[in-house]
Amino acid sequence: MATLADAAVPLDGASRNAFVANLPRALTILVTAAAVIAPLSLILYQSFLSAPFFDAKKTFGLDAYRFIFDDPDFWSALRNSLMLAAGMTAIAVPLGALLAFVMERTDFPGKRWIEPMLLVPSFVSPMVLSFGYVVAAGPVGFYSVWATEVFGGVPWGLYSLPAMAVIAGLTHVPNVYIYASSALKNLGSDVEEAARTTGASPFRVATTVSLPLIMPALLFSAVLVFFLGIELFGLPLVLGDPEGHLVMSTYLYKLTNKLGTPSYHLMAAVAICIVAMTVPLVLLQRRLLQNARRYATIKGKAGRIRELPLGKWKWLAVAIVGFWLLVAVIVPLSGILLRAFVTNWGFGVSLVEAFTLDNFRAVFDEPTHVRAIVNTILLGTVGGALTVACYTAIGFATHRRNDGWSRVVDYMVLVPRAVPGLLIGLAFLWVFLFFPPLQPLRQTIFSMWLAYTVVWLAYGMRLISSSLMQVSTELEEAARTVGASRGRISREITLPLIRHGLLGSWLLVFMIFEREYSTGVYLLAPGTEVIGAQLVSLWQGGAIDVVAALSLINIVLVFIGLAFALRFGVKLRD
Amino acid sequence: MAELTVEDLHLKYGDNPILKGVALTLNRGEVVSLLGPSGSGKTTLLRAVAGLEVPHQGRIRIGEKTVFDGAARVDIPAEGRNLGLVFQSYALWPHKTVFDNVAYALKLRRISTADIATRVKEALAQLSLGHLAERYPHQLSGGQQQRVALARALVYNPPVILLDEPLSNLDAKLREEARAWLRELIVRMQLSALCVTHDQSEALAMSDRILLLNGGKIEQQGTPQEMYSSPQSLFTADFMGSNNRLTGKVVTIADGVAVLEGAGWTLHGAAKPSAKPGADGTAMIRLERVRLADGPGDNRLPAELSTSMYLGDKWEHLFHVGDASVRAYGDRPLAPGRQWLEMPRAEVWVF
Repeated sequence: MATLADAAVPLDGASRNAFVANLPRALTILVTAAAVIAPLSLILYQSFLSAPFFDAKKTFGLDAYRFIFDDPDFWSALRNSLMLAAGMTAIAVPLGALLAFVMERTDFPGKRWIEPMLLVPSFVSPMVLSFGYVVAAGPVGFYSVWATEVFGGVPWGLYSLPAMAVIAGLTHVPNVYIYASSALKNLGSDVEEAARTTGASPFRVATTVSLPLIMPALLFSAVLVFFLGIELFGLPLVLGDPEGHLVMSTYLYKLTNKLGTPSYHLMAAVAICIVAMTVPLVLLQRRLLQNARRYATIKGKAGRIRELPLGKWKWLAVAIVGFWLLVAVIVPLSGILLRAFVTNWGFGVSLVEAFTLDNFRAVFDEPTHVRAIVNTILLGTVGGALTVACYTAIGFATHRRNDGWSRVVDYMVLVPRAVPGLLIGLAFLWVFLFFPPLQPLRQTIFSMWLAYTVVWLAYGMRLISSSLMQVSTELEEAARTVGASRGRISREITLPLIRHGLLGSWLLVFMIFEREYSTGVYLLAPGTEVIGAQLVSLWQGGAIDVVAALSLINIVLVFIGLAFALRFGVKLRD
Repeated sequence: MAELTVEDLHLKYGDNPILKGVALTLNRGEVVSLLGPSGSGKTTLLRAVAGLEVPHQGRIRIGEKTVFDGAARVDIPAEGRNLGLVFQSYALWPHKTVFDNVAYALKLRRISTADIATRVKEALAQLSLGHLAERYPHQLSGGQQQRVALARALVYNPPVILLDEPLSNLDAKLREEARAWLRELIVRMQLSALCVTHDQSEALAMSDRILLLNGGKIEQQGTPQEMYSSPQSLFTADFMGSNNRLTGKVVTIADGVAVLEGAGWTLHGAAKPSAKPGADGTAMIRLERVRLADGPGDNRLPAELSTSMYLGDKWEHLFHVGDASVRAYGDRPLAPGRQWLEMPRAEVWVF
């Protein structure tokens, strides 16, 4: 008999208490539920009160809804929101699909370095981008002044509703591009070659073969862009203000001052109206995404993709891509870059003479601005790591468990997706005011972190679960059969295997936390300053110089994250 | 003594029944193969024994200990069953070295570091992997990975070792060597092994007993010799080897000998339980049992040679007998035209 076959080793821990083993999971689910449900139910509760919840004279009823439904501004805001969302969808979807085709399928020159630039507008804060448009192409923007000097007039305006729709459409092209290009990646190029051999030009191949085949992905991204249009806040806040165009979110924001007293009940009613529009859209997106995935796997022959020669169409493609890059990336970013380094700008001002570093001195001389920068960096780095840790814990609570609790968590995670950051920030403000034990945390960066973590829950869980999905089931089963408990498998097998995915998630969470602005608007207080929310408040105060400098700092922070992500080969998209 | 007992096991995915009442026993020092076509439930049965699938009815005992009992609501989780499972994909943990992969199970059992080192080294040496201890799985060849997976499953001396298609990830040439090596190892270490395979020659070569599964039920079980030479059903006969089939009508059955009549031919063969006089029947004979004959005689059929294939060590000839085709081996090429084929009575089964 072989030496190995001495007395079999007994396994300890087999009698482990099932209750203790399930405790971490139960706690995780409970905390997630509290963090998601508490703020939202508070909004719902508040919307049925006649006054703020701390007011002693409050009564239950539909007064708040009655008030806003009687307000003509509400209806015009609703109309504007729908028109803006429809307009930007009509612009972003065809353009995004076309760009995806050009980038994925053709011999377009310089694709490799253009591709990351295509994603830039989705990484820069919409607040910053909008501000960039104002200083670049507003009535006295850099490009407007130059155009006036050359042509004697400005052929564009920024502040009308159609102009906002165009800008929103162009800056949301990346959202379409991401889904269209991954759908194209999954599509074998043989179908296109077949069309070419029968005599179709590249343009006809795109419109009659490739794009119809990725229809499910395009449909999904159309709903996504429409949904983002309903949520839009920074852009209409900056560009809609001069001519007084309100959308749902800015209507809510302006309500704060409408009655002179805190009008929480009205804000809650508007918030519920917004959520009533976004929830169906989110559920629709979920349906469509599952459909698109199924479609992709059926078609996915994943053969080697050969490039389609553009031939004489090359110049048209270059013109379209170039125009988009100019309008959606170069104009706003260069505007901010220039504005951050001049004292003032207008007709007859020379860039060289107006050059200054005073804007940055002004930022660094003001302790609140310095705190905003430090807080933003801390939120992205330390906070981001904690956030990824929380998301990972939730991921493990549902990983390889196909029970009712997992489905509950799946839907719970989806809920914040339907609620714009502005509303979640507001809801958390109320949570901190409503529950006295939490009040001390209100003035700390923790409140900001909590709201950010809940706002980006759905996005973060997608990152975590795609990492978890890559761990083969058998690696975990192998650990079970040699005697490891669930907890130990998670810690010693699964966690080490997904560490690269977690690092990537951390970098992506860092970038979105640096970019975030709307969530902090209502939570902004001494001690909780962050750049994004600070920009909203400074913009309202008209401090253009400081806004420019802070915006540039914000962009630099995002780009540092982007550089790290590219360096470590993090996938920037699904 | 039975190391593993499975009784009346039922398992379904949703409404789809996978196992429909399977029973088996595995005695100490015995290798039992679960053989069957894909979808027959053999891997599911193995995984149910391991605790990775939950049956809804039946009992599973390991030694004296009940690990699953549907009626008594006993279900010891996989980590509590103390079995060794070798996965088809090996499932080596890519972030651990060979040493750590093998040592993990011992660490879970709170064994001292010094003891772990000794035992892991011993296990690796047994499988001639001693020099690879510090490597990572991706630095190993397929055959080496397979041996690490075995070492990982053996190091804590489980009473039963479960092997899921252990050879299917190796290339054809390596597979035959690994088969001999694995059989020798199991016998030398006196392991009790339950092994899933879809390859009948692998099952014949490796096992003491074979369980043939068909559609979630055990079709037949027995020693490799019994399975190969006295199949009780058409399915078993068909699955266990390369066969010729001739369909016709059963004329008579007397003293266990059936007479089958086809278009222009008559065959005598051993009657199997399913054969009924007057009904349609199928005669079956292994390819290697068909003899080339030089003229008419008992149980000989006239056949037209269609084509011949050279296989290296022999020739394979394809004949036509009426509408049916019959294959036979020979040691030399044949002249085209009519030949006689002899099918010895004892080698023909009539179902």
